[in-house]
Amino acid sequence: MEMLLASAIGVLTSVGVYLALMRTSFALILGLSLISYAVNLFLFAAGRLAPGFPPIIGGLTPMTDPLPQALVLTAIVISFGMTAVLVMLALGSYLLGGHDGVDEG
Amino acid sequence: MLLALIAALPFAGAMMPALLRGAGRSGMTLGCAAATGLAFVLLMTQAPAVLAGAVVEARWVWLPALGLEAHFRLDGLALLFAGLILGMGLLVLLYARFYLSERDNAASFLGYLMLFQGAMLGIVISGNILMMLVFWEMTSLASFLLIGFWHHKPEARRGAMISLALTGAGGLALIAGLLMLGQIAGSSDLSVILAQRDVVQDSPLYLPMLLLILLGAFTKSAQVPFQFWLPQAMAAPTPVSAYLHSATMVKAGIFLLARLWPVLSGTPEWVALVTGFGLATMLLGAWLALFKDDLKALLAYSTVSQLGLITLLLGLGTTAAAVAAVFHIVNHALFKAALFMTAGIVDHAAHDRSIAGLGGLARLMPISFGVATLAVLSMAGVPPLAGFLSKEMLVEEAARTTFAGSGWVLAALVTLAAALSVGYSLRFLVAVFLGPKLWAAPPRDPGAGLLLAPALLALAGLAIGVAPMLLAGDLVSVAASAVTGDPVQAKIALWHGPNTALWLSVAAIGGGFVWLGLEPRLQRLPAAPDAANGFARGLRFLTDIAGRVTSAQSDRLAPMLGLLVLAAAGLGLLAFLTGQHLPGSTALVLPELAPTVVWTGLIAAVIAVPFVLHNRVLSVALMGLAGLVVALGFAYMAAPDLALTQISVEVVTILLLLLALGILPTISVRDVARPRLPQLCLAIVAGLGMTALAYAMLARGAAFEPISAFHIAQSVPGAGGTNAVNTIIVDFRSYDTYGEIIVLGIAALVIAALSEGLPRAPGPRVAHPIIFTSVSQLLFPFVLLVAVHMFLRGHNLPGGGFVAGLVVAIALLMQVMASGQDWTARRMRLNTTMLISAGVLTATGMGLWPMLTGRPFLSSNHGYVTLPGLAPFELATAMVFDLGVMLCVTGAVLLALSSITRLRGEAH
Amino acid sequence: MSHLIIAPVLLPAIIAALILLLPRLQRLLSVIGTAGLAAVSVQLLVTTSHRAPETYLLGNWPAPFGIVLQLDRLAALMLVLTAGLACAVLWHVVATRLDNRTRHFHALFQFQLMGLSGAYLTGDLFNLFVFFEVLLIASYGLMVHGGGAARLQAGLRYVAVNLAGSSLFLVALALIYAVTGTLNMADLAVKVADLPPGDQALIRTAAVLLMLVFALKGALVPLHLWLPGTYAQAPAAVAALFAVLTKVGAYAVLRTTTLIFPTDTPATGTLLMDILLPAALITLLLGALGALGAAGLPRVLAFAAIASMGTLFTAIAQATPQATSAALYYLIHSTLSGAALFLLSDRLQPRTGSAILFFATALAVAGLPPLSGFLGKLMILQASTAQAGLIWPVILIGSFLMLLAFARQGSNLFWTPVPDTDPEHATPLGPPALLLAAMVALTVGAGPVTDWLSVTARSLHGAP
Repeated sequence: MEMLLASAIGVLTSVGVYLALMRTSFALILGLSLISYAVNLFLFAAGRLAPGFPPIIGGLTPMTDPLPQALVLTAIVISFGMTAVLVMLALGSYLLGGHDGVDEG
Repeated sequence: MLLALIAALPFAGAMMPALLRGAGRSGMTLGCAAATGLAFVLLMTQAPAVLAGAVVEARWVWLPALGLEAHFRLDGLALLFAGLILGMGLLVLLYARFYLSERDNAASFLGYLMLFQGAMLGIVISGNILMMLVFWEMTSLASFLLIGFWHHKPEARRGAMISLALTGAGGLALIAGLLMLGQIAGSSDLSVILAQRDVVQDSPLYLPMLLLILLGAFTKSAQVPFQFWLPQAMAAPTPVSAYLHSATMVKAGIFLLARLWPVLSGTPEWVALVTGFGLATMLLGAWLALFKDDLKALLAYSTVSQLGLITLLLGLGTTAAAVAAVFHIVNHALFKAALFMTAGIVDHAAHDRSIAGLGGLARLMPISFGVATLAVLSMAGVPPLAGFLSKEMLVEEAARTTFAGSGWVLAALVTLAAALSVGYSLRFLVAVFLGPKLWAAPPRDPGAGLLLAPALLALAGLAIGVAPMLLAGDLVSVAASAVTGDPVQAKIALWHGPNTALWLSVAAIGGGFVWLGLEPRLQRLPAAPDAANGFARGLRFLTDIAGRVTSAQSDRLAPMLGLLVLAAAGLGLLAFLTGQHLPGSTALVLPELAPTVVWTGLIAAVIAVPFVLHNRVLSVALMGLAGLVVALGFAYMAAPDLALTQISVEVVTILLLLLALGILPTISVRDVARPRLPQLCLAIVAGLGMTALAYAMLARGAAFEPISAFHIAQSVPGAGGTNAVNTIIVDFRSYDTYGEIIVLGIAALVIAALSEGLPRAPGPRVAHPIIFTSVSQLLFPFVLLVAVHMFLRGHNLPGGGFVAGLVVAIALLMQVMASGQDWTARRMRLNTTMLISAGVLTATGMGLWPMLTGRPFLSSNHGYVTLPGLAPFELATAMVFDLGVMLCVTGAVLLALSSITRLRGEAH
Repeated sequence: MSHLIIAPVLLPAIIAALILLLPRLQRLLSVIGTAGLAAVSVQLLVTTSHRAPETYLLGNWPAPFGIVLQLDRLAALMLVLTAGLACAVLWHVVATRLDNRTRHFHALFQFQLMGLSGAYLTGDLFNLFVFFEVLLIASYGLMVHGGGAARLQAGLRYVAVNLAGSSLFLVALALIYAVTGTLNMADLAVKVADLPPGDQALIRTAAVLLMLVFALKGALVPLHLWLPGTYAQAPAAVAALFAVLTKVGAYAVLRTTTLIFPTDTPATGTLLMDILLPAALITLLLGALGALGAAGLPRVLAFAAIASMGTLFTAIAQATPQATSAALYYLIHSTLSGAALFLLSDRLQPRTGSAILFFATALAVAGLPPLSGFLGKLMILQASTAQAGLIWPVILIGSFLMLLAFARQGSNLFWTPVPDTDPEHATPLGPPALLLAAMVALTVGAGPVTDWLSVTARSLHGAP
């Protein structure tokens, strides 16, 4: 199971980096989003795996570590904000500049 | 106290031109002269004490951590130089007043000049070597400004740049050298350093330190091989040449050598380097001066040679040489400044500065001729002028010294140099004033304004020559004492009786005539390459390289990201491998079938994306799928809140991307480009790295008990909720959430601000099917209810403010899209901004509330509430915070998405 | 414990929220807010100079379970520096009417200050991440203020790079929490010191990744490529404010390497400093070369900023109280001088007043006498005698290149004949003059300032 999670993180990162290094803003946005999925999973993994033991008091113990989950929640929301700004910039750059490439010209 | 005032006066004088602008050039000059004059007078009040052998000091604490003090120290050497700087300063101010034309910006000129004066004065009366460094660089800067004063002339700009680059570089070497000296001697206080001769000379760092200090001194004083900047500096107005580049600034290096003489000299390294370079400079400068056609260039090279002479004397290391050096500093200043001023007068009158174009001015400008003759004879070393005296002393010392293994080499070379100097001196006089030349518009002697200063200087040269002990004896003695560190009584006389020195001097004078005669024939020799061109080319080359290195660091995104990945992978690997890692002992969880299948789906979807990138809608769909799988994964791995949030955010993100695709091209050819090898490698490296790291982290247990144990234990009793994740978010670590909602709010504001400045995207407006509109309107209240339910139960079960806020936002957005965006546009913007603000203020307010009872920000309370007819339920003040979160999230998401939707379609 | 400690975070937040509600009063509110922030920061500086560092328990939860704020001399110094800079920048913005170009400038400005204050005051590593995000996203908004294709494109790249950096931050945080189980900085220091050997590799990796994130912020080679384009495209006043953003990276490095990963901790040892020093020296040289070779004044200034970060990190990499004290002095100086020059370069006209100011501020940035840059450089040189053979030549060569660079710029701007372009809209000289005055005060009062800084540095390194 750990291997599944770790490899998923790895694949998400790989494809994310690959896309982010491409020349269009669209690929960049997708790539960074994939990277953020990977990193969220990584952060979540810091609490180690305990499938089936949700962190609700009164449920089964020993429960999953709630703190990394809280951190990931925060991270997801923050990443969303950042992604939205990125998308807006890509749109603005396209509407004003006429092309959707990441670099000039 | 008085010393500080003396040091400060020139700087005060620098502000005079700005203040006295209305008074015209005379007024401004008077203002500056008043400052200089006052400083000079104050200096003279200290003179008797110094001449009697005392050292006047004044010090203030400045930066003890560095050993830097505002320490002023006036001894014989300082007195001599200070008198030179201030006295010459007055004369130069007078001369400048009449030299500058109406078109010149006199205010700036005077300002720069006074600035220089203050800096130069600061160097000579510094008692702390670090403070001296401060002033040292300032003289280079002031010189830069003055050389480039006529900045419309390219040679002025060039000359300024070359001189700044060279003296600046030397100054930097000096910084290193003086810092080392201070460390070896244990203090930056000059008085302390001067007493540490043995410590310094025995140190293993003596040679590098000496080399660095010599670099500083030689660059400033235009010694070989750095002599070329001085002729370039002749692009400056003549008062500058007279003041800085003959009498004062170029003497700064020599001053430094004299100042540090007691502690640095006497070693074989010192003798070899200083004497050697001085001698070389003396010879080269004199030789080159003989051939220059431009008057100022001739004088410039002559200055180089004369500075070499003084350097040579300082290098010899004997008391008599020190006396000679000090004496020649004065004499040289007198005759050289006079000659520069005369050259300026000739230039003004005849509008020609070249030897070829001048001649026969003795009859037309008799006074100038007289002044020039006195100065020239002093330069040539002809009795009874002062220049003869110091040159005689030089020759005498040279005759006595064994150099390069022989007792007469030095004497011969010195005599040769002296002969050359006679040669160029006579050339100056003969070519400018003698000889037949017809003038169409005969030049005339200028008014007293221009003539007074050089005349005084030339006459002083005569007076000192005739009565040296009377006029200069005491000063030279104390100055030489300061140089050697022991009391010296100079004995200077016009006639020492017939000795070797006298014969050599006579030989030199004779030789000079020979050179003068030979000069026309020697002119046909190929001209030596000008080192200044080489240096300038070097500077341009450096700038070119800098330009190329810099443009290689492009602004493209891929290198930025690539280097980050590379650095992270490389350094991460390095750090990991150089540390110990033990795999953990906790048992790994075995995968079940369902997750494995889902995992396969995720991998497939993700890997497919690069291959279908050109079809952007499909790519977004795959992304959505990936996000969904991640949410499923969270649910499976016992993170229900995360799953909920991930799904909600996923929906909004996909919505966002689809909206964007309504504007961006949906099919793009550029994305199908073949993969570049570095791109592929980096991607693989990053992926492998993350996998390995994640696995290492997962497999190894924690080293200590995590702090979340407290959170779990305190979730109900302390925070009043059973959803441990939610209590962390809105209670234990609510400050994080506070920051987070503000991030979201800021994002929305940025998007809204950006959208206003953008043109509408071309393209058909999206048609809204009636069914869509009615269904969304029907569902709206139910969705709201769901949101409220999610919000209320969040503290105990998965849910909470975020999810609720997102749900409300999505619902509202559906409404907006259904009914037409432009109608609600303005309302939406105002309302959403207010929503965001309300959310922030609610959260802040709830946080501030407990502060009224002395508890910190964001402290929470909880208790049971009983409403009639309902079972008692637990409420926590943290839920008010959660309300703030919900409001802010709703507002932000709405603002962001509506701003983007407004970009599409024609405006109504 | 006094509640004033949280004022630097809350005040800008409340002001920003009020600005959103009352947009007509936004200039007034912003000025009041910034002035208030300055006053509060000074007050905090005064109180913390007489006392031991204070901790503020948010939510009233005991450390390390809740989030704590910590106020010590370093944090107070950064607060005062930022607030002072903000005042000068705001003056410039109002004088040039920059805030009218697009919406929400003042709200973003206040949120930016909030993010900075939060980053300085926090004692929790994840909270540092959150406030980093706050200050970053506000900076995104400020950087693209005014719009324009080139600006938005540069902004896109700036955002993308920082997103990548934030991801790296999260990875490092995950590792740190996974190994030590805590996020509180003080608690981390204890746990890292006592770390079992088998966990060393993971913590070392985490430390290095964390350092990379801060190095990205601080424009350290090879992560400096984002800076020239961003600074050249940002409005000049915003670029001036950004002078303090790079310092946040230096602040974070200083904080983590003195508190959590000091050089005597067995897990990481001198690893971080061994990486930092060569990078800092290369940054210095590339920055100085860039200043000489770049095209256009804004890019020259951007590379000069990179060079000054290199110098700053060189001092930090020595990891001694003396060097850290010199680093802090230089930090103050380079923030003021860089910002002043950016403000001045906004619509620079060849006039006497601006010429004098340009000369003085260029002197300051190049580290030439008599201003604080020279003193700072001397102090750094003196503090690095241990590795003088390597460090001194680099610093001195860098200074030479900067000297050439600014002489060239000055000559091109003021000495090459050019028609007078736009007399009415010349840059206001007040704000840069104010910053210059601060530098003069820094020079003249160098003694008391360095005394205060040495105590600060000593307490950071845990020395008495």
